Parts: sequence; structure tokens; C-alpha cells
Amino acid sequence: MGPLIPNGVIPADWDSIIAILIGLVFGFILEASGFSSSRKLAGVFYGYDFAVLKVFFTAAAVSVIGIYYMDYLGYLDVGQLYVHPTYLKGAIIGGVIMGVGFIAGGFCPGTSLCAVAIGKLDAWIYVAGIIVGVFIFSEFFTFFEPLYAGDFLGNVTLVDSFGWNPYWVIFIFSIIAIIAFVVADIVRKRVKKVFY
Amino acid sequence: MDKKKIAKVTRFRYQILTIIFLVLAGGLVLLPKYQKQEGIKTEYLLNHSISPERYISTDQIADKLINQDPSFILVDLRDEDSYNNYAIPNAINIPFSKLFDEESLMYLNQSQFDVVFYSNDNFYADQAWMLCTRRDFKNLRVLKGGINRWFKTIIKPEMPSEDKAKAEFDLYATRKASSMYFGVMYPEQVIEKEVKTVSKPAPKKVITVKKKKKRPVEGGC
Repeated sequence: MGPLIPNGVIPADWDSIIAILIGLVFGFILEASGFSSSRKLAGVFYGYDFAVLKVFFTAAAVSVIGIYYMDYLGYLDVGQLYVHPTYLKGAIIGGVIMGVGFIAGGFCPGTSLCAVAIGKLDAWIYVAGIIVGVFIFSEFFTFFEPLYAGDFLGNVTLVDSFGWNPYWVIFIFSIIAIIAFVVADIVRKRVKKVFY
Repeated sequence: MDKKKIAKVTRFRYQILTIIFLVLAGGLVLLPKYQKQEGIKTEYLLNHSISPERYISTDQIADKLINQDPSFILVDLRDEDSYNNYAIPNAINIPFSKLFDEESLMYLNQSQFDVVFYSNDNFYADQAWMLCTRRDFKNLRVLKGGINRWFKTIIKPEMPSEDKAKAEFDLYATRKASSMYFGVMYPEQVIEKEVKTVSKPAPKKVITVKKKKKRPVEGGC
């Protein structure tokens, strides 16, 4: 049956509208749970607030378990889901740059836009920086292209490329998540509390 | 009292959630696995397989070949020896055992050309058609009767008996003509008309050259 749009249960014309609706809800929840504060995101790195880690880890684990149950029961075909293409070199370098920006600015691209919406000055500057970065990247695209398009591995997942059993991967991933939560809590209790 | 009870339970809320989480994740590992149905749904496959639309006649194929229709690929499913021995012109050879090889998929799994399968009869061709349809390949056809029928109808068409309708004779004429296209020679074609030897020299033809009459002078400048 699923995914709904590729199998024609929902007409493909609706996908933009659905994307907008999901985006609205996503933005609202990010803002409502306080993710539009750069201090909350920075807290992960300084050890006084692990909400971001917990939320995203839980979201990933819950959805992957749900998806595989639905796949098992025949409601959803995992093979039809979109897998983002892997460009190894670009992903590593881009990841490092984004990580640095993440710590320095205290936003990820999504939360920065939420923070722009509620009028945080640091977010305005952060997004301006993103736009400048995008501009530079586009202008020098021919220069960056070998890096951008190099080491293309296709739309692969860990399960595909290493031949792992997806169910064990999910189980181990869940255990890692739980360990991460426990460790995060221990760290948080040791670190001096920051109020913001 | 109730609040206290709730508080007692909620004190362990993280532990409870952890246990639920682990049970669900572990359940995935422990669930008995089953082979998933691949390809198109069973109902579709059944619908397709009952329908005779997949058959294409030898006459149609001959017509397409003669008109050099570029829209289809003829696939010979017999083994290589038979293919080398004789094959319908322009056919490519994909032995039945190599149907799903990487190289073959290039020809079969595309949406630009019609693929026409044939084997000796349509037995293997039907099987190949079924296997490929199940994998949701598009535009597949089967040559009805295969290469045997090709021989019977196109290469060596049988002359209809005299009491048959005119349409049959027309069809025979068409088939005969197409067999000639595919290189069959007929006795009546071979018989050369005897060239009459001429004993006396050809009479000289007197060619009179008419002199052009002078046109009367017309007016004008």
C-alpha cells in the first residue's frame, strides 16, 4: 500500500501541499519545545541540556521501528522509500563545516529559521550567513563541483553496503540510543546548571 | 490517594518507556521472517496472463520487418546454436536461461521499445513473458506459434485449396511476397523466359528526320 504518494493513494499533485503542512507542524513543534533557542542547542556540546540529542535520537528510533513494523505487516514497502544519495567526500567535509557552524552559531538550519520567525537577532545573522554561504557556493560551483559530486556511492544505506540484517541494526541502534540517554543524564547532573 | 498512586507509577516512567522501546525493537528481531512477494500484485499478474493481448501474429511481425518498423526488439529465446542456425531477421539472442542476466535486462526492462519474444513454439516465450511481467517490465509481446509458425506461414506458406475464399488467396499472396522478401525463391521465379534467337538481322529502321518547319514570322519585336 505505502508509500502513499508513489503508489497513487494520494495524487502526486498534493505532495507540495503536504510538504508545506508537515513543514508548518514541524516548525511549530520545534519552536514550542524551545529549539529556537541557540542556548538549548549549544547545551548539547557544553553538557547542560541534552534535549536536542534525546529528541532527535528518539524520533529516529521510533520512526525506524514503526517503519519496519509497517513493512513487516505489508502497509509500507521499505524498498520504495527515498534514500538520499551518498557523496562520501562531500558529506564528510560538509559535515565538518556544518558541525563547526552548529557549535559556533547554536542553530541547525531548521531551528535557525524557526528562530528567525520569532525574531531572534542572532538567528537573523545566522541565516544571513547561510545565504552568503549559499551565494559563494553557487558562484564557485564549477570550482567545488569535483568535491560536490565526487565519490558518489549511489542511494545506499548502511544495511545495503555492509549487508547487515536491518532488524539487528535497529535493535542495536535502540540500545545505543538508550545508553546515550543514560550517559547524557549522568553528564547533565555533573555539569553546572545553566539557566536561560 | 489517587495522585500518590499515579506519582508512584510515573516515577518509573522512563524505565517503562525504555522497556517498551526495547520490547518493540527486540520484537522486530524475533519476528518470524517470511519471503515477501516481489514484483506486481497477484491479481494484476492473473489479469495480464489471462488476456490474449500479448500475442502478435507472424504476419504482423513480417509486416513490421518489411516496413522496417524501428519500434520493437525481437528476442530469440532458443539456445545459441539454434539461433545461429536460423533466426528471424534482426532478432537478438537471449537464451531462456540467461533471461535475467545483466546484459539482457538492458533490452527487457525499458519502456521505449516493444519486446517480442519467440521460441520454437510460444511455450518458452510465454514463460519468459510471465516472468518478466511479474517483474513489471513493460511492453512485452509474444510471437504466436513461434518460429515454427513463422516457417509455416511466412517462409513456406501453404497454397489454399481452390474452394477457399478470396481473402485466403490474398493472404497467401501477401505471405508469398513477404517470403520472397526474406529470401525464398519460387520455381516460377527461377524459370527464365527463353530468349528467342533471332536469325535475320534486325531490319534497319529508317528514321526520318522531319525538318522543322519554319515558323511563320509573327509580329512583335
